[in-house]
Amino acid sequence: MSEDLTQRHSAFRFHGSWQEFAKIAFPNLLLSIVTLGIYRFWATTREREYLWAQTDFIDERLEWTGKGMELFIGFIMVFLLLGLPFIVIQLISQGLIFRGETVLAGVITLLMFLLLFYLTGVAYFRALRYRLSRTYWRGIRGGSNDPGFGYGLSYMWKSFVGWLPIFLLVPWSMISLWNERWNAMSFGPHRFEANADWKPLMKRYLLFYLVPFLLVAGLITVAIVAAASGDQLGAIGGAGMAVGGIIVVLAILSLYIILPLAALAFYSKYFRLAVGGLRLHNLEFDFRARAPDWILFFLANMAIVICTLGIGYIFMPYRNWKFFVDHMEAYGEINIDELTQSKTIVSKHGEGLLDAFDVGAI
Amino acid sequence: MDTFFNVWHYDGRSAVRRKVEIQTIGRQFFLLENERRHGPFSFSDVEYVTRKENVDVYGLADVDGWRLMLSGPVPAELAELLPAYRKYGGWVDRLGLGKATIAFTLASAAAIAVVLLSPQWLAPLIPSSVDKKLGDALVGDFGGRFCSTPAGDAALQKLVNSLDSKPQDLQVEVAKIDMINAVALPGGKVILFDGLVKQARSPDEVAGVLAHEIGHVREKHVMQALLRQMGLAVVLGGVDGNSGALVNNMLAMSYSRESEAEADAHSMKALGNANISPVGTASFFDRLSELDGSARNRDEGQGIAGYMSSHPLSRERKKAFEKSIVKGKNYKPALTSAEWTELKTMCTQDRKAKSGFGFDFE
Repeated sequence: MSEDLTQRHSAFRFHGSWQEFAKIAFPNLLLSIVTLGIYRFWATTREREYLWAQTDFIDERLEWTGKGMELFIGFIMVFLLLGLPFIVIQLISQGLIFRGETVLAGVITLLMFLLLFYLTGVAYFRALRYRLSRTYWRGIRGGSNDPGFGYGLSYMWKSFVGWLPIFLLVPWSMISLWNERWNAMSFGPHRFEANADWKPLMKRYLLFYLVPFLLVAGLITVAIVAAASGDQLGAIGGAGMAVGGIIVVLAILSLYIILPLAALAFYSKYFRLAVGGLRLHNLEFDFRARAPDWILFFLANMAIVICTLGIGYIFMPYRNWKFFVDHMEAYGEINIDELTQSKTIVSKHGEGLLDAFDVGAI
Repeated sequence: MDTFFNVWHYDGRSAVRRKVEIQTIGRQFFLLENERRHGPFSFSDVEYVTRKENVDVYGLADVDGWRLMLSGPVPAELAELLPAYRKYGGWVDRLGLGKATIAFTLASAAAIAVVLLSPQWLAPLIPSSVDKKLGDALVGDFGGRFCSTPAGDAALQKLVNSLDSKPQDLQVEVAKIDMINAVALPGGKVILFDGLVKQARSPDEVAGVLAHEIGHVREKHVMQALLRQMGLAVVLGGVDGNSGALVNNMLAMSYSRESEAEADAHSMKALGNANISPVGTASFFDRLSELDGSARNRDEGQGIAGYMSSHPLSRERKKAFEKSIVKGKNYKPALTSAEWTELKTMCTQDRKAKSGFGFDFE
């Protein structure tokens, strides 16, 4: 038995509705408040259970089998292994400043920062691993046997290399890390293959990178023109000043509008390339959202949050997942008989590290 | 809702979907698929997994990916044997959302109450040796910033002796730091900053401030604040970063104000016992309230600064000191003018003491 995907409109379909999600999100908010936030691990789990169950891949819904307790244990582990030692180290380094050992305090703080940086990388990796290991389709799950400690080192040095030439190699480090992360993952018996190329990303990145410079250059040009015309308009009085004022306002506005737009355009391309380079056995993936889709998505998110005075924030997991699934596409075929159970280990704790550092998914 | 009762099965080994019928034999069951028979399985091993649209999904303990999926009207005799639908997770489902909300609210309130109130009783139970070690660890020799001259030390000791009945527990120092501030630290340490001493117009003023800091030591405020901060960090650890920090700071602030009032009361009493006029302290606060901004912002930072006793100078505090003046009482100056000069010039005379904070603090 095999499924030919080329005949289908889209392999991924989302059937959820925000009204149904609201029935989960509001009680979650209430319970999270009265438990001083502890319920949020179970809240996240319930939301994912709903979102996964509403997501069709070909002819079967996904299943989220993660447990709130796993996330809670992960959080507690981070608190005990990292939180408390860090508080103590902070006290010590402040004590050292008091004693005038500024250099030593600086070294300790730097080491602390490096350790946090390393762990952020590990956390990204482990969160992806956790999510795959808890995602089932037709009784089969994903995962990885790699604990992600090596990835943490890669994350450090690749990020560093990305920043070194005045941040110009950031696209390389992002794509390269994405590939490294996904190449360590598998679903069922099949390993993911991630071969995204970073070079096509450079044009968009340079656009984003150069926006501030272009804006400043444009501003100077306009200012010179205005100053020149201001001489001629001298007789009319403050008109030149008014023009100058308008230009400054426009420049500030454009910095706040154009820069985020350029960032979204870059991220849209990044995600398209990254997903496009992903393979699972005979399956190829594609993410079809383009820059305008991302921009509309973010504007709508902002509008929802602002118009509901922030309450709409609880719908963001729904919005994000729907956007993700609506634009995901898969091609190729799956041999159902060959798709056997994953042999990867299943860790008993959740996204503790990731949760503690508050970094995003996939 | 489907009209017919349908059962599907994934065995967890491959992704093949099997249409089956359930054959119940006592507390066990078989799954019949055309000519194949799967099982036997025990109902006690069946776990509720999730609900996909109108399909209830069950798993089997210790068999990864094993799924039993039921849709349509489940026969009553089978429904009885299956585990219950899980909505919120264990406790909430057992109590119901309303009761669980109330129970969680009460538990949270109790936890916060314990954290806020227990330090008052716990702080005196901490052995003074621990307190002292903590103080030594934090401060040490303060980076060589303590000023010392024989006559200055003697004048300072005279002040301490007049203000406290057990001066041997206290370690009062003047630090060569040009800030108008004073701090009480663990282990009975009180540090007067040279900026404060130089600003003062009479020894009575310094006596008032010193008595206030001794008040913090005697009331165990520093240890209380430390314990409270640690407790709040644990209890509010589950709350998202920003809102947790906000609540934490608000609670800490309200307690810090209470402590300040207690320390003021202690100061007035000590001044009265030592026969030192509170007039100086009142006018000192009055003058400082104008310089307030700079002196105050500096020590509202994090960590050590967070539990350093800050001095929010206000009119009310000044009035309280004015009120404590007993008319007709024959007050005597806290120090002779020779002693006062020695104390005031101690840091100028002591050339060995280092100045400043090791880095630019201004």
